[in-house]
Amino acid sequence: MTKRGRNRLPALSGLVLLAGALLAAPASAAPKRVMSLNVCTDQLAMALAAPGQLVSVSFLAREPSLSMLHEEARKYPVNRGLAEEVFLEKPDLVVTGTYALHNTTALLKRLGFAVEEFSFVQTLDTIPGEIRRMGALLGQEEKAERIAAGFATELADIERRQCDRRPTAIAYDQNGVALGKGTLADSVLQAAGLRNLATDAGVVGMAPFPLEQVVAEKPDIIVTGRPESAPTLGEHVPRHPAIAAMPATRVGAFVPEGSWSCGAPTVIKAVRALAKLREEIAPCPAGTAP
Amino acid sequence: MKPSLLTTALTLLALALFVLSLLVGPAELALGDSLSGLVAGGGEAAAIIMREIRLPRALLGLSIGISLGLSGAVLQGFLRNPLAEPGIIGVSGTAALGAVAIFYSGIAGSSLYALPLGALAGAGASVLILLAIAARQGSTLTLILAGVALSSLSGALTSLVLNLSPNPFAAYEIIFWLLGSLKDRSLEHVALALPLMAAGWLLIALSARAVDALSLGEEAAESLGIPMARARFLIVAGVALSVGAATAVVGTIGFIGLVVPHLLRPLTDRLPSSLLLPAGLGGAALLLAADVAARLVLPAGELNVGVLTALIGAPFFLWLVMRARREMF
Repeated sequence: MTKRGRNRLPALSGLVLLAGALLAAPASAAPKRVMSLNVCTDQLAMALAAPGQLVSVSFLAREPSLSMLHEEARKYPVNRGLAEEVFLEKPDLVVTGTYALHNTTALLKRLGFAVEEFSFVQTLDTIPGEIRRMGALLGQEEKAERIAAGFATELADIERRQCDRRPTAIAYDQNGVALGKGTLADSVLQAAGLRNLATDAGVVGMAPFPLEQVVAEKPDIIVTGRPESAPTLGEHVPRHPAIAAMPATRVGAFVPEGSWSCGAPTVIKAVRALAKLREEIAPCPAGTAP
Repeated sequence: MKPSLLTTALTLLALALFVLSLLVGPAELALGDSLSGLVAGGGEAAAIIMREIRLPRALLGLSIGISLGLSGAVLQGFLRNPLAEPGIIGVSGTAALGAVAIFYSGIAGSSLYALPLGALAGAGASVLILLAIAARQGSTLTLILAGVALSSLSGALTSLVLNLSPNPFAAYEIIFWLLGSLKDRSLEHVALALPLMAAGWLLIALSARAVDALSLGEEAAESLGIPMARARFLIVAGVALSVGAATAVVGTIGFIGLVVPHLLRPLTDRLPSSLLLPAGLGGAALLLAADVAARLVLPAGELNVGVLTALIGAPFFLWLVMRARREMF
């Protein structure tokens, strides 16, 4: 804090100079100081960066409900995604999400920082590509290739064990919002061998899904969020007595905490958990699956 | 209009809208399925939808409508102020603030019991403040302006508390607390609010004679042998209970207590006490109708019913102010 206060004035006056210097700097093969401003780029960067290469991650990276690598994240200083923080840290590369911090990203680019944006409209198919892209940016191509290939192999493995018996499921969260076509959760449900009711009903992206319709469709599985430390009324919707009253429906969090909030290698844990659940409630008849 | 005729007509209207409320929803159930679902047991989808989703919603529409209509009528009579209404004078707003402050702080876990507890405290505090203001400064304008100040302050503090919650989803619930909704309520909410509201109705009913006497002025009422302290207690507690419990489960729903007494007063003998029952029934009919409309206007996303009542009520309030200006200020 004191350091930042002391540095603010010279930093501001040196703004133009520094911007020019950065633009002129030769692009080196692997950036030495990388800063991640988004909880999802945090996941990729923490998985791939060499020791000392990643100078800070976003403060959300320590949030267990959003970040699978929240314990790992305690080893790094955290940032709040402010342009000032980036400016004082002077990283060689900034990685962030496309729609999280629009103004910050635009400002940083104008100041001449190298900013790489990752789209978070993504599904399981895009993840190996994102891993390789982050690997290339960090100069960790080999490690990225290993993780990406492992991810793709395990995913293909799980998908191969599917059969025609596809129980219905819905990812039903705060305030009765469902995750439909094009979301990471949808691709995870499909990969685990489940039919996503929200997608069948025409939901694209995240959209409100009437509680009555959930009951009327009688899904086999309802995947809800975990109750957070601070209460909201919205989290009472997936716990509505009408859902509890459905006799044949399994309701629960099912996926490991934080595992499907980001398109990171760890999302495979969510696929595994749901595939296991599918095996339990609708085992494939012997002989149909290899 | 004869009182019995008016009451019967309003009862039938409220009941018809109650049934209509049971029949409207995104799961398109056939009429027969809905009705048999209501009485049949078991785990059939239609039965669950009717008993666990639509019945609580219709019950809350009915009982909260009664609470708001009744509170509006008694406040207008007691304060001798045609613009008095739980929403406008800030009772609903402070009730919401009380509920939000206790629930989102998490001191009661995520238990729903925290809601009415906080809301009753908030509503009670604001009614006491307003009565103190009304006692010192009888003017209609002062009371309404104090109510406006109280509403804005509690709205701002409600937003602040929700923004301070460590849970990022809490801030999305500002709209629910400022413009209430009956969406996705359950029988738990009915069990939480209905007994408290019923107690409030009883207290308000007991104050009827005092409110009539008060229409002659406070001194005249006292010379008639009406114990003013008791009347004041009955009304404060009655309004705090009914509006507090209502707001605790559905957020702030404004203007019902303003519009309904005004629409029905010309049909009564204009004694405040003979307006109480019709205003309660009329409030129920209006809230049920608004809640049905909220589901039909935007079937997928659903409009907050507080938006609809404000759309009807705010222009009405403006018209009342324009009309009343000549007579009062």
